Amino acid sequence: MSIFADGVSALDNATVYFDGMSSRRRIVSLAFGDALEIREDGAAPVNWAYDDIRRADSPAGMLRVSCLSAPPLARLEIRDEALAAGLALRCARLGENRIGGGTVAKIVGLSVAASVSIVMLVLFALPLAADHLAPLVPKAFERRVGEASEVQIRTVFGDRVCNRAAGQAAYTKLLKQLREAAGLDTDVQSVVLATEIPNAFALPGGKVYLFSALLAKAQNPDEIAGVLAHELGHLRHRDNLRGMIYNGGTSFLIGLLFGDVTGSSALIFASRSLVTASYSREAEQNADSVTIEVMHKLGRSPKPMGELLFRVTGKEGGRSLSFLAGHPLTEERLQRMTAEDRPPSGPPLLTEKEWTALKGICDPVDKK
Amino acid sequence: MNDLNFVPLHPTPMQPPPLPPVSAMFTGKRGDFVRLTARGAALELVTAGFYRFWLATDIRRHLWSNTEVAGDAAEYTGRGKELLIGFLLAMAILVPIYLTYFLVTIEVERRFKAFATLPLIFAFYAFGQFAIYRARRYRLTRTVWRGVRFWMDGSGWAYAWRAMLWGLFVLVTLGLALPWREAALERYKMRHSYYGDLQGSFEGRGWEFFKQGWWLWLLTPFALYFTIGAPFVYAGFKAVEWRWWLSGIRFGEVRPESTMSRGALIGLYWTAIGWIALLGVIFLAYLGLSVALVVGASGMTFRDFFQTKAFASNIPLLVLAGAGYLAFVLGINLVMRVVLMRDLWLKVLGTVRVHNIGAAANVTAKGELASALGEGFADGLDVAGF
Repeated sequence: MSIFADGVSALDNATVYFDGMSSRRRIVSLAFGDALEIREDGAAPVNWAYDDIRRADSPAGMLRVSCLSAPPLARLEIRDEALAAGLALRCARLGENRIGGGTVAKIVGLSVAASVSIVMLVLFALPLAADHLAPLVPKAFERRVGEASEVQIRTVFGDRVCNRAAGQAAYTKLLKQLREAAGLDTDVQSVVLATEIPNAFALPGGKVYLFSALLAKAQNPDEIAGVLAHELGHLRHRDNLRGMIYNGGTSFLIGLLFGDVTGSSALIFASRSLVTASYSREAEQNADSVTIEVMHKLGRSPKPMGELLFRVTGKEGGRSLSFLAGHPLTEERLQRMTAEDRPPSGPPLLTEKEWTALKGICDPVDKK
Repeated sequence: MNDLNFVPLHPTPMQPPPLPPVSAMFTGKRGDFVRLTARGAALELVTAGFYRFWLATDIRRHLWSNTEVAGDAAEYTGRGKELLIGFLLAMAILVPIYLTYFLVTIEVERRFKAFATLPLIFAFYAFGQFAIYRARRYRLTRTVWRGVRFWMDGSGWAYAWRAMLWGLFVLVTLGLALPWREAALERYKMRHSYYGDLQGSFEGRGWEFFKQGWWLWLLTPFALYFTIGAPFVYAGFKAVEWRWWLSGIRFGEVRPESTMSRGALIGLYWTAIGWIALLGVIFLAYLGLSVALVVGASGMTFRDFFQTKAFASNIPLLVLAGAGYLAFVLGINLVMRVVLMRDLWLKVLGTVRVHNIGAAANVTAKGELASALGEGFADGLDVAGF
């Protein structure tokens, strides 16, 4: 038995054969006949056809080969350089299972194709899927999603609902006109919430929040009507649901890329922000179209909404990159609304008195 | 489940005479490894990360085939394609689970609010542990030495259960029970591991690990507070862990032993930190230079440039910064792999002596290959297993 305790000094040039059935280390000699003959003292020789011999991983200074027609783990280890060269010369297909430049090019090609298809999916298939899937989601489910997010909103923005009676009546009147013009049913509800942040948004299932700070900045009913019509537009298009489907899909698809590369999360975050911002901008533009449509239908101009937004944000261009923003730039929106400006052909949406009441909807009520 | 019980498998009656302990050696050149990983990292970027399966395979092939025990080098027979398939399989399983969970969460969150994410954490922890077990099984079945492969049986889910219960116990004891958790889990893994027909076992005891490492447990709060101490404590912990783990492994009568000292890995971790800090400085300098260039070209003053927030919308600057960031990321990946994988492996191997290697002189080949599903889960869930 030829086991060497430590190091390889005594077998520097010995050829070692493992038959793949046991871990026994066999010192062998080789003969190059019609096939490679592996000879061991006291055992029948083993023949390997040259064309079946393949290179296996080995440390430097050793040629290690396997044979397709032998047990898969049978290995021949040749340390003698001349002998290794002699064998290599006879084995035409020695390097065939190696990962060469061609394989790498193939991996790169396929990966680029996969990445392109992922990008295509994100840019084209996902918006389509969102459009087609959103109508299939039951209303009841959408409402539940809305209720779940309502809980969060109330914790973030506080729970101070403004409901002074006269103001509430005016608000209900305004909303009813807009809702009917937009073709939405009574699922739509809306409240004014007292917060310092000038904003408004729609939750899935039909709840619209108007923040008191935005109401405070408004100078006439048409400004607020335009904003509310915009939110109704989101509801009509089911943008929340579509956004959820789109954003979820995007996160997943982009997450397939880059896996364990340290520091890749920034790349993933950046590319995801880019595409979701573009998707959201489109949704905003479509909601603006609803404002234009509804206001025209009611014989009013959409321009005041643009003016209100401009008053709130100021000029946005130059401060941030338009392709990173989730909204179109305010000045662009104002421009669009101005282009759609028409002299009023319908009655005012609220009377002077109602407008004043609405403005005061958050004033403290003296409770008895 | 008979195979859950530990049955010591005695080697064949004709035992070879005991041999003096043998050492383990690493014969690979550092330059080769650096080239391999640098090229792999570049390809990873070009392929949006898909090359990771082949890079991981190339790294293992290099490390395995250059690791010699008793004069015989190991071999890694796994291939990148297997990892890719494992990843796709894992995705096919995880995606419906994610989706179902997402829908269930909405319903639950509406009713119970805050605790809704807890089951998700449990579920993913279980999957992660399953992944760790199965990933090791994949790697082991691709490890060949002397023409005979290592292999593993046992159940990934049985392991995940044990890991979860022990994990809970560690949490309750503020980490004190960690040595016993590691010992118990390693016992499960090792008694289901084989080299040919030689069954593995694990003799490391939680108590020994605790004795060697309890001071680290005491130091941890301070190390976390004074950040500078964290690498020392972590390096100390890793050294103690390696030594304890290696010295506990058995395959039949074969018994490795590590003599690693507590401070052996400190230098390595600081080397990695030093390189990363250097890369960070270079990256910052590059950013500064880019800003100077862009500002110079635009004719603005620095003050205007930053006060008007023009820097956030300057596309040439963003492109320059992005490219620099990519190079920075590549550099960090290279450092981590060269220092914390290759150099660490060398350091560990240098401390190993293997007793009774004669017991592995005539082992009969046995065992089936396992799929790379576990590796796929590990990739999809971002857990690292060993």
